[in-house]
Amino acid sequence: MESIQYVEEHLTPGLIGRLAIIIGFVAALFSATSYFASTTNPTDKRWINMGKIGFGIHSLSILSVIVVMFFIMINRYYEYQYVWAHVSDELPLKYIASAFWEGQEGSFLLWMFWNIVLGIILIFKSGKWEGPVLGTIATIQVLLNSMILGVYLGFGDTPYKLGSNPLLLLRDTMDAPLFSNADYLALIKGNGLNPLLQNYWMTIHPPTLFLGFSSTVVPFAFAVGALIKKDYQGWITPVLPWALFSAGILGIGILMGGAWAYEALTFGGYWAWDPVENMSLVPWLILVAGVHTNLIAKATQQSLKSTFIFYLLTFILIVYSTFLTRSGVLGDTSVHAFTEMGLENQLLLFLLIVALIPGGILFWRWRSIPNPEKEEPTSSREFWMFIGTLVLFFSSVLITASTSLPVYNKIRQLFDPTFIGEVITDPIPHYNKYQIWIAVFIAFLSGLAQFLRYRETSVVNRWKKLIVDWGVALIISGVLGGVILLWIDTYVWQYTVLLFSATFVVASNFWYWFKILKWKIKLAGSVFSHIGFGLMIIGVLASGLNENIITSNSFLMEGVIEGDDASLRNNVLLFENTPVKIRDFQITYSGDSLDLYTKTYFVDFAKIEENGDTTERFTLAPNILYEKDFSKIAAYNPSTKRYVSHDIFSSITALPQVEMEAEIKREKEANLNYRLQYLSFEDEISIFDTVTNETTGAVTINEFRAFLNGIDRKPKHPEYTAEEGDIALGLAIGLYDVKAPDKIYYATPVMVIRGQLLYGYPVQINPLNAKIKLSEAVLDIIFPDESQIPYREIKLKKGERYSVNSSYTVTFEGFNRSPEHPNLQPKEGDIYVGGQLKITADNQVSYWTEPVFLIRDNQPFYLKTQIENIGFHGRFVEIDPTTETATFSIGWTEPVDSIPVEIATDSLRYDYIVLEAKVFPGINLFWLGATLMMLGLLLAVWPKLKRKYALGS
Amino acid sequence: MKKIHIIGIVMIVVAVVLLTNAAGDMSTYASFQEAEISQQRVKIAGELAKDKAMEYRPEVDPNYFSFYIKDMNGVERKVVLLAAKPQDFELSEQIVLTGQMDGEIFVATDMLMKCPSKYKDEEIYIKSEEKEI
Repeated sequence: MESIQYVEEHLTPGLIGRLAIIIGFVAALFSATSYFASTTNPTDKRWINMGKIGFGIHSLSILSVIVVMFFIMINRYYEYQYVWAHVSDELPLKYIASAFWEGQEGSFLLWMFWNIVLGIILIFKSGKWEGPVLGTIATIQVLLNSMILGVYLGFGDTPYKLGSNPLLLLRDTMDAPLFSNADYLALIKGNGLNPLLQNYWMTIHPPTLFLGFSSTVVPFAFAVGALIKKDYQGWITPVLPWALFSAGILGIGILMGGAWAYEALTFGGYWAWDPVENMSLVPWLILVAGVHTNLIAKATQQSLKSTFIFYLLTFILIVYSTFLTRSGVLGDTSVHAFTEMGLENQLLLFLLIVALIPGGILFWRWRSIPNPEKEEPTSSREFWMFIGTLVLFFSSVLITASTSLPVYNKIRQLFDPTFIGEVITDPIPHYNKYQIWIAVFIAFLSGLAQFLRYRETSVVNRWKKLIVDWGVALIISGVLGGVILLWIDTYVWQYTVLLFSATFVVASNFWYWFKILKWKIKLAGSVFSHIGFGLMIIGVLASGLNENIITSNSFLMEGVIEGDDASLRNNVLLFENTPVKIRDFQITYSGDSLDLYTKTYFVDFAKIEENGDTTERFTLAPNILYEKDFSKIAAYNPSTKRYVSHDIFSSITALPQVEMEAEIKREKEANLNYRLQYLSFEDEISIFDTVTNETTGAVTINEFRAFLNGIDRKPKHPEYTAEEGDIALGLAIGLYDVKAPDKIYYATPVMVIRGQLLYGYPVQINPLNAKIKLSEAVLDIIFPDESQIPYREIKLKKGERYSVNSSYTVTFEGFNRSPEHPNLQPKEGDIYVGGQLKITADNQVSYWTEPVFLIRDNQPFYLKTQIENIGFHGRFVEIDPTTETATFSIGWTEPVDSIPVEIATDSLRYDYIVLEAKVFPGINLFWLGATLMMLGLLLAVWPKLKRKYALGS
Repeated sequence: MKKIHIIGIVMIVVAVVLLTNAAGDMSTYASFQEAEISQQRVKIAGELAKDKAMEYRPEVDPNYFSFYIKDMNGVERKVVLLAAKPQDFELSEQIVLTGQMDGEIFVATDMLMKCPSKYKDEEIYIKSEEKEI
């Protein structure tokens, strides 16, 4: 094959990047080997130094890859497949980072980036744990780096492709005739970022979530290190702040996903038990369980084994969730869209390596891990904490089992191709009915156990105090729960129990903070987290159970446990400026506006009390985003009004077809039954329209009346933007239905001549289902052939008259220094003056007109005026300043008595929207509680760091 | 035997009981015929019958959307979804419906669509580019 010399390509960054990927891979492998070797040769410092150097080179390489990627993306080098797939010329610079991690390769790089950041911190901070910890992280980097290698292994016709390289050229990844052009780059455009992802959530959610993912490797690495070094106690203290940090960040990352779904997407909720959500929640639950056993181990040397299990499992589950969400195995059970990239086998290998090797070592070392003979006393804090971790683990098992159903189906089908996979019929109630009891357990356990002490064998000598503390907590929670029940409904006793368990954990932790911790913030990490948990549950109950769909006639709670009817009959049809009263609200769609590709709809809400008073008014503005060619709608964005106690959420669910699809709009427009009508200034004309009822077949005849209201040479139309040199014409037309003669609708259809092209701007009169456009025939009437007009020149001084055929008198009324004329847009240096003329017809009716004399760039221009009713044409052609005499060129044509327009009376109205609006009470409690829970975890890191540095100095 | 072991065993028993119970929440994708016989809430996977009429006229009823689905056995039935017509409905490759039969009509309360991925769009995109050359 002949090779083509392509032009305009930038190949150097790709070469650098691809080289860096390979160097990074080799360096990580080298680093991992050296670090692990250092654990068996602790005296030989060379190993650990080689590990450091390897990790350093790896870090520099991966950072170079990222820099190269950003470089080619910012410069829009579409010769690279990744750039072409994720960036476009229109994409604002602020979304380049989002485009970077939109693809699988970019997100792997993001993950590696955080691992590098954490790895470098650990090189300095992990002391004697550096060898095995960095060795483990470097191994993970090897596995992640392999995902972007893009090299072919093996020989023959189908070599195995290892990884997907983000720096491949488009022409190498796709076989298209396009690439026979040497200048193909001039012909292609980038695809750009999915419009759904063009918001700030896409900028902040992935880096946070990936920092969460990435940070779970640290407890994992410590656990592996401890197993390798057989130091089962020493890692317990240094790992704790890392685990707390990781749980906090991962939790925030997951929450941001929920907030994104709630705020920017039309899911109308923050959690839906979707497989992708579940599989990010499960590692977090296990990590939180691990944090608790870690605390137990630190205080009592118990629970070492479970700490190992939980920390190893956390990271394994992160990889499992990566496998599930990226391999396409979840298929049709998730609303999230996945793309299969041929990495399934490699991801499976990744999973097996991180699961089997550490699992094997743990199994091998199991018996040598110290296990105190003495059992935890039932009166001790550690006993109940441990039970709590078991409950969390139990919850994870249930969620994972249900979520992994598609995986189970796939495995069964491997052995038995006839096996038909099972699915969960109604996922939300399925998960809710089990997890509610988990939450009740966790809430009571954490509320009760706070007041117990570690290693306390008996509470006999302080049981009175204990009873008082628990009693106070119980009373406060009872009152609190009672108050909340006045505000929200729980509907079934199960949810009432959940509510009281939540108020109990809030009350007992507050009491603990006051009584035992004396309001000390520094020690309040666990208090904050547990209070947050309680508040979050109350928020879930309030917003979930009491979610109230304004635009429907039923409360959502129907079937919260049994069946899920959430998506039914929740929409309301709103015609523009026609208020609709539903439930407590009067809702009015009051207008819309288009800004580039975004069309925003304004919906006014007025809350009406039972006595008829309007208590509050607000406007929501949900919008839609069109595709760049306006062919169809790319995204619907909700709009939410936020109050302290509740949110009001609204979203467009449907629009008239002509608004949604350009193709249909064109089709409808082409099929309209336009009829030519001659409108005159004097008389109204009648338009008859025959309508056949589809079902009954009955025929009715509608009569409309139309009349001409005026001619507008500087017309306005929502779709028309005036440009210099345009010749525009608008006809002001009145139209009404004879059945309602007092409702006259006015419209100004517009026609514009721009250069050689003619543009028509019709107007829809929605209440009459009518559409009006100007007929091309209007041009000959309004703009007659100039050469056919019998012009004559007249010279007049101010106040002088000139009579024509004894029927018209032209009077020069004087000069005007600031004249107005539709074609006059003054520029710097222009000299212009208007000549005011009064034309009196038959000594009765007078018309005023003002042709303009303009000098621009030493060229004279005569801006003509015209009075259609009498057929007058006038130009101002000369000025004699010395005598103050003006020369006009005037002429008459046939007066225009009627003007043709085209009117269609079958243009169905499209001034409506279909809206869904809901009230989420107490949703802020959910956000507050959940955020507090994560901040509590992060707060708990603080005293531990301080102590560590105090010890170090 | 330690207390913790007893608790552990209790939990395992509860887990087994719960998961066995949960089997009732699960089902295979049903066919229209099975749904007609059982008269229960089922999940049906099928394809949109693109040659049959779809009806969504918000100006008449914004909560009524009807279309025809061909199930895995090739049986076609009219489906009614009491909600607005979802975006990109026509593009869906596979549709999963939850609901039950009401006479000849399947009344769906929930619908999941599997749409072709973005990457396929890209192929189309470059093909349309080629035409211009």
